[in-house]
Amino acid sequence: MKDLFNKADEPTRRQFMSNAARAYLGVHLFPMLGPTIASAAAEGAAKGAKAKHVIYLFMAGGMSHIDTFDPKPKKKDVMGPTTAIPTKADGIEIGSYLPKTAEVTDKMCIINSLNSTQGAHEQGSYIMHTSYSQRGTIKHPAIGSWVVKLGGRLHPELPGFVAVNTSPEYTGGGFFGAKFSAAPIGSPDQGLQDSRRPDEVSPEDFSRRLSLADKLNTQFHNRYPNADVKAYEELYREAIALMNSKDLKAFNLAEEDAGTRALYGGGSFAQGCLLARRLVENGVRFVEVQLGGWDTHYDNFTAVEGRCKEFDQAYAALLTDLEKRGKLQDTLVVVATEFGRTPEIKKEHNDGRDHHPNAFSCVLAGGGVKGGIKYGETDASGNKVKTDTVSVQDFNATIAYALGLPHDLVLMSPTKRPFKIADKGTPVTSIFG
Amino acid sequence: MKSFVPLLLAASVALQVSVRAQDAPKPAENADFLRKSAVEIDRHIASFYRSKKLPVPEVTDDATFMRRAFLVAIGRIPTAEEALAFIEIEDAAKREELVGYLMGSQGYSSHMTNWVFDLLRLRDGRQGSQATNEPYRNWIRKAMDDNMPWDEFVSSLVASSGNGWDPKTAAVGYYTIDRGMPLDNLSNTMRIFLGSRMECAQCHDDPFGKTERKDFYHLAAFTNGQFQQNERYMRDLWREYQDDQKNRGEEYRVAQLFWDKIYGMSLGGGGNGRIDLPSDYQYRDGDPGEVVGAKTPFGKTVRMSDREDEGDGREKFADWIVTRTGEQFPAVIANRMWQRIMGKGIYEPVDDFIESKQTVHPELMSHLAKLMHDLDYDLRAFQHVLMLTRTFQFATNPNPSTLEGGDDFHGRKIARLSAEQIWDSLITLSSGDPDKKPVRTADNRIYVGDRPVLIGQMDMIHLSHDVLALKSEEEVRKYFNDFLAMVKKGGGKKGDGKDSMSMGMAPVRKYGKDSPVRASELPSPAPREHFLYLFGASDREVVEGASKEPNVGQVLSMMNGYVQRQLVGNSGAHVYKSLEGAGSEGEKIRRIYLAILNRPPTEEEMGWMKEEVAAQGEEGYRNIVASLVMSSEFLFLQ
Repeated sequence: MKDLFNKADEPTRRQFMSNAARAYLGVHLFPMLGPTIASAAAEGAAKGAKAKHVIYLFMAGGMSHIDTFDPKPKKKDVMGPTTAIPTKADGIEIGSYLPKTAEVTDKMCIINSLNSTQGAHEQGSYIMHTSYSQRGTIKHPAIGSWVVKLGGRLHPELPGFVAVNTSPEYTGGGFFGAKFSAAPIGSPDQGLQDSRRPDEVSPEDFSRRLSLADKLNTQFHNRYPNADVKAYEELYREAIALMNSKDLKAFNLAEEDAGTRALYGGGSFAQGCLLARRLVENGVRFVEVQLGGWDTHYDNFTAVEGRCKEFDQAYAALLTDLEKRGKLQDTLVVVATEFGRTPEIKKEHNDGRDHHPNAFSCVLAGGGVKGGIKYGETDASGNKVKTDTVSVQDFNATIAYALGLPHDLVLMSPTKRPFKIADKGTPVTSIFG
Repeated sequence: MKSFVPLLLAASVALQVSVRAQDAPKPAENADFLRKSAVEIDRHIASFYRSKKLPVPEVTDDATFMRRAFLVAIGRIPTAEEALAFIEIEDAAKREELVGYLMGSQGYSSHMTNWVFDLLRLRDGRQGSQATNEPYRNWIRKAMDDNMPWDEFVSSLVASSGNGWDPKTAAVGYYTIDRGMPLDNLSNTMRIFLGSRMECAQCHDDPFGKTERKDFYHLAAFTNGQFQQNERYMRDLWREYQDDQKNRGEEYRVAQLFWDKIYGMSLGGGGNGRIDLPSDYQYRDGDPGEVVGAKTPFGKTVRMSDREDEGDGREKFADWIVTRTGEQFPAVIANRMWQRIMGKGIYEPVDDFIESKQTVHPELMSHLAKLMHDLDYDLRAFQHVLMLTRTFQFATNPNPSTLEGGDDFHGRKIARLSAEQIWDSLITLSSGDPDKKPVRTADNRIYVGDRPVLIGQMDMIHLSHDVLALKSEEEVRKYFNDFLAMVKKGGGKKGDGKDSMSMGMAPVRKYGKDSPVRASELPSPAPREHFLYLFGASDREVVEGASKEPNVGQVLSMMNGYVQRQLVGNSGAHVYKSLEGAGSEGEKIRRIYLAILNRPPTEEEMGWMKEEVAAQGEEGYRNIVASLVMSSEFLFLQ
């Protein structure tokens, strides 16, 4: 497998143009694809894999499972002011702050039996995104980077992995390098910032600048043949291909009609979801959108209600819109978080809830996952997992499985240590149709 | 020569004056002591090379040294004038003088501020509350400006108590920014100041056997009981306003001001010294709900009673951290400073402490801990010493480190600049020396909603002192009503700063996110679409969350975005102004090189650039500026 991986990467490298300026002038725009590892190793992978894309919605701070996807209506002391409401899926109830989500629950698979070993934000978010515990000596690639590495890109110029409003710490390419890092979007409304040549710079001057910079860089790289330095050289080529892409408009939300924009609602998260849909339609593999503010130690119920307002409409709109366009079947929509929150309500913190990695909820929808079902169960108060525990690694293996990527394929880091997309996780296969 | 030398002189004169003022100068103020300490460090490094039979790296050239020294000490590249002055001086002691100049510069505290803001997760505002970190921010900024000794800084934070608006007690922000999560706050305290990782033990025994959950709770007992001063006198009043969903007018906003910004930013008590074990406590050595007294897990043991609240737990805890943990406290900060100056810690990660004798360089590490102590935790003096070493001057080693988790001392590692270093360097090119601009000041005005009120009559410091001194619910209600009447009568004049000046208050100085000022003076954290964020500035939600990961957005910004608007395409940019009076094309090109890469061009480069000017005329200079800024040499520290 190791040799296969090395070979698979070889043509990609050869396709680099030697001169960035020439690439800009469009002499020959190279596709940065190369044969993918997945296509070579597909035999061992899931046969029924339907998903091609992932939209990964990360609820940063630790989303209270009890107030959202794992309510305990019989236990008032656990619920506080939150109630449970019926949904479009028979026998499934969710938290009262999610009325629109309740309308699309028939498309969702709610996993209530997540369990993480990490109870602090940094470590929790890290393991969720990488399947590995944080170490001082190595940077593990984010799951989006793994997906692009294993599955390849679908579009020759657009980035394979785009991250909206996320932390660069959790969306980096790690030891795969910058080529596999997410292209960051700060504000969905502005799209991919600075992706156009400024009007006041003529095409000729622009290419002269690149050509000069290229000469300087070649010199510098020869002096310091260092991976980090090299990464920037590659990124310039990448950026230029992107600038020239006719599909750059994928990043432009202004092309959406007012009705569609209103369907998702206002706010950065909602518009991020809409952007994610556009990007997926245009062949981006993996889009992560973050919604922060779930760290509700203090005044949990006011805060969760506020977060749910941001989430509810956008999420429901995303599933509905994807389905209408026929993209839900090959797009896996993930709702994830680093941990849940305690069933215990802390009076002294104005009814707050603390971190709770023992049991929490995540949601999958689309991409071949059966809708209107629950998987796994917690005990009566949502404290511990009772049946079908899903570890963080199992969860990530399930994402890989949905995409038909080999979750057990070992890739070696530059330091010659073995890594897998989901470490020792095994996929939950029963939730697929 | 013109501008640099007098500045240099001023810095060294200042040093001499302070030396003369006392008969026995403190080590930190004694130039000879600093020099000797640097030699001592080099001796350790030399013996390392001897024992490994390795050749000692060369010392780097002047230009590389200069750029490195500026970026490391003050976080930006030199201005064109500073670069020219240093290159042209012919003086054997010029490197030492440059270090003195930098350490005495305004830029030093700006650069340290970024570091400490990342460490302490300093954000301007707080989510879900009107409370602001403004006074706390200002307290930290001033501590960096005053070069407050590190032991004093840490104990001021950890032992803090009182009114969040009073400049004397604003350090309470250390606790109040984490309101509702005292255990996370404690984990972070142990991690950042002592390099002790206890996050695991918050919930379970450490599987590697270092810390048990009970140890963690014994420690948490010191800081347990972080309530808001006198908040019980306002609780009912606030609840009435909260429950009345329809009334969200001015009265509500004033109530919110009292609750969030006065009570919510205060810290009462002083640490109980005891705590209940949590409801899910799972081990045999204690029961859920059982009260345990404070006890420190290592160092000289400090205990507190489990029978009564002693009320000075935070002070005891602070004192333990700073004076009773042996070499751990000085060694952790010494290694952090070593990492800042040398590019790599003696051990890494720097927040996972390793005893000196277990490190790869036991003698050096224990020497550094001792030096930190001898310098009375003067971080500026300590960094000054490191910068005077020959080790700091080693030539760049292109090969990656061979030693995992620490420094192998095979010369300087090449590393990308931090987001703040890039920003601060770019604004130096676009608008000249940023350290001549005034720093941001605290905004102590009273805001009702978004509107400042009673300007020139009262500020948050006065108001908060009044309110926190109220002794009963009746007094609070009366004061609240009187204040409300005053606000209604006084209206909400737009504050132009003039009123406050006539009252003898300092004018408020704030900078918008795109202002060409130091990153340390901009809103924190940088907004998501900001240049700083794109280049990996920390969002300040987690400890030291900055990243140097490259991404495609960064190069787009370099080619088409901020850099184009602020610098390349901006005819008024400082880098173009510095070309005035240059007689020839060659001289202009040389000056552009000195300003951006801080070195003269090579002969080959001069040839390329002359061709560019010949082909494109004036536009050619812009193309040169653009290409130099886009080059990896600009983004990396050698």
